[in-house]
Amino acid sequence: MQISWNGTAIPAREGDTVADALLRHGIRAIGTTRKRHRPLGYSGSFVKGILAEVDGVPNVRLDQRPATNGLRVQSQNVWPGPKLDLLKFARLVPAKFVRGGFEHPRWLPSGTARFERWEALMSFLAGEGRLSPEPPARTTVPGEKLSTDAVVVGGGRAGSEEARRLAGLGRKVVVIARRPPADDLAAPIRTLAPFEAFGVYRGGRLIGAAPLDPDQPGVVIETSELVLATGRRSVPPVVAGNDLPGVMDAPTALRLAERDVDLGRIVVVGTGAETSLAARLRELGQTVAIVSTITMLERIVGRGAVAAVDVGRRIACETLVHAGPWVADPNLPFQASANGRIRLGAEALPPHVRVIGSAALPDEPVHVGSLADARHAAICPCMDVMGAEILDLMAAGMTHVEELKRQTSCGMGPCQGLPCWELLRALMRKASDGLYGDDRPSHRGPRRGLTVAQAAGLDGLVEPQQ
Amino acid sequence: MSKANLDRRIVITGGGIHGLGTAFHLALLGHTNVRVLDAGYFQSGASGRNGTLVRGGFASYEWTRLFAHSNRRWIELSRLLGENVMYTRRNYLIVAQTEKTQKLIEPAVPMHRELGLQSEIIGPGELARLAPCLDTRTVRMAVNLKDGGVAPHHAAMKGFLSAAKRIGVSVDYGKAVTAIERDGKRVTGVVAGGERIPADVVLLAAGAQSAAVAKLAGVAIDAFPQRIEAMALEPVRPILRPAIALPDRLCYLHQTARGEIVGGSEVPERPQDTLTTDLPVMSLTAKIYAEMFPAFSRLRILRHWAGMLLATPDWGPLTGRHPDLENLWVSTGWSYGIAGAAGTTELMALSISADEPHDIIRPFAVDRFRRGQPVAEGAIVLAPNASAHGTAA
Repeated sequence: MQISWNGTAIPAREGDTVADALLRHGIRAIGTTRKRHRPLGYSGSFVKGILAEVDGVPNVRLDQRPATNGLRVQSQNVWPGPKLDLLKFARLVPAKFVRGGFEHPRWLPSGTARFERWEALMSFLAGEGRLSPEPPARTTVPGEKLSTDAVVVGGGRAGSEEARRLAGLGRKVVVIARRPPADDLAAPIRTLAPFEAFGVYRGGRLIGAAPLDPDQPGVVIETSELVLATGRRSVPPVVAGNDLPGVMDAPTALRLAERDVDLGRIVVVGTGAETSLAARLRELGQTVAIVSTITMLERIVGRGAVAAVDVGRRIACETLVHAGPWVADPNLPFQASANGRIRLGAEALPPHVRVIGSAALPDEPVHVGSLADARHAAICPCMDVMGAEILDLMAAGMTHVEELKRQTSCGMGPCQGLPCWELLRALMRKASDGLYGDDRPSHRGPRRGLTVAQAAGLDGLVEPQQ
Repeated sequence: MSKANLDRRIVITGGGIHGLGTAFHLALLGHTNVRVLDAGYFQSGASGRNGTLVRGGFASYEWTRLFAHSNRRWIELSRLLGENVMYTRRNYLIVAQTEKTQKLIEPAVPMHRELGLQSEIIGPGELARLAPCLDTRTVRMAVNLKDGGVAPHHAAMKGFLSAAKRIGVSVDYGKAVTAIERDGKRVTGVVAGGERIPADVVLLAAGAQSAAVAKLAGVAIDAFPQRIEAMALEPVRPILRPAIALPDRLCYLHQTARGEIVGGSEVPERPQDTLTTDLPVMSLTAKIYAEMFPAFSRLRILRHWAGMLLATPDWGPLTGRHPDLENLWVSTGWSYGIAGAAGTTELMALSISADEPHDIIRPFAVDRFRRGQPVAEGAIVLAPNASAHGTAA
């Protein structure tokens, strides 16, 4: 089996995602940041690193797209083309120049013809994928409405066990999982996988979910009970170089190792799980250079990809894997409880909504290097927000997470806040000795969880509130 | 102007674009004692959640006179503030798909021109050229407002805030007004964050919270808070240059400089007094996109949010002096608040300064419903108001 990457044929194996095949072939830089076009890779953290055009469709997640013979995959955010990409010279622009939204009042005030041309150019340079103006064959994927006693989000151990327990009590249960659960959940449990729970509405009584395959129908589910078993994610450290291709979380490294991808020399850091992870990676034939607690990590070094890390001393490596700090995805519980008129704030979960398994454990503190180094750390790399921009705005008196979010676009990219707002909050806490950073911006759906065609197919299934 | 007038203590409740903008213009006129108070954080209200569209032309003379003035001010605003508000002229297309809408907007074009707007009628062919991804099969005609466009709210708000502070306005966020003191038919001060602030003039510009704030002064506002929802699609290279309103579908959208398609629609629901979102608006907006902009059906939805506005019986703003309190001024009830901000803030400042409502804002007087004189406006993308006193078009 072969796929085409920017016009070059690349072999792929049965069961590969496109991302697996690219990394096995040594391609680490897949996506780029929005403004400065810096390279991003398959990290498990920053979604823009694995977005590309697939068969002419922009913004396809390569870690979710199975490789199929003849698939045409192409970098996006390039001009005039991937072979000769002039946009990468944007990397030479100093980070300071692209802060915020290119306001620059003195040279280019709005209301002038030169501003209009500048804005059009900036919109073009903001890049992203090219959408064909030709209509697709199918513009609506008719959806489905379900009614159940309980919805369990998450098909891991905790979610599966809870689904079985509830079914044993005679409840009708629907499980929504990104990956099919390891052991089959027998009827009467209905499993929706691979699906994304894109939204929780009406205080947790109405759930939206959609399959990762955009041609399959989305689902809305009315439920009496909602159980969130969405696990935890390892959040990248706030140190220089944290967005370089080659930095990845533990699940991504394991996935690639199991797919027989050579990750080169690996440094593993973490909050306790690093030793067992390193042992597992070695079992899978990988080369682990050193294992360290994440608090020792000072910075990650490299031009275009990881070349070394500083952990008290410099260690040459191609991959940095972080196994912790572990943080639960706050999005769905926030949606289930948040209310407000002036701002949305998380409130206590209603009794019919429960968080279980590792998602219920307290969040571990995100590792932040020295403040001098953190200036060069990416906070939201997809939108080119660096630590320096946040620290300078804080020094100028801007200390509210929502204000920082709007001023910098932090968390407004394809990840929609995870992990970027965790990095933002950790940096704010460190810079203010804990005074700021506890607060959260509003978490919103649907986070790329469904397409317009899938959403259009849900229309009419839910009555507006009367 | 007399020093006594310029020394008046002016308190503005609400640091959204109307409160901040009016404060800036008051200071520009020479007022030295202007203070803005806001319960939320900077941009927490509708000034940080809106669709950012600006247009001057509507179906009614009253709306068009006010908004055409404001559209002109948008074009000049960066130079006035010394800050870039990043307003871009995009062509604002009001698209008619029914005979009813065509009959409403077509005759308005000569009136638009009389009021100084570049306004023209275009057919489906020209429309397809300006917006190639729009399916024009169901379109009868459109009005193209060439000066209409987009003002990204972060830039506009930052511009007004910086400029207002630079010329002496005091601005406090996170400081909620908890009481308003009166002496007969006059307001004498407000209490905010435990501090008593004496006032010679109070401007009520608290957006969706305005009715609640008015209540603190013991007076009523004929309006209620209502949620409006919008959503953003994932970014793509520029594909839609104009801003578009589809009054027959109650839908509006544009593509931001960041590449996202941002827009929304309206569903017939009981007004919701909350910032939470619900499924029907997202699915209906998606359905309209799938029909009218079929190329967008492949795109994923990035986020979906709500803002709140203060719904008035005719959807027009409430601007002027409150009929029951002689020194309580009002600028609220905005549904096209960003569009109206650049010009109305100046007119409000002139009105407060002269203690006399400016001619252009007079039709939107706070007591027009009591007097049985609502302003009928049909060319807006808002569902007929649920509480309408039989007036909204």
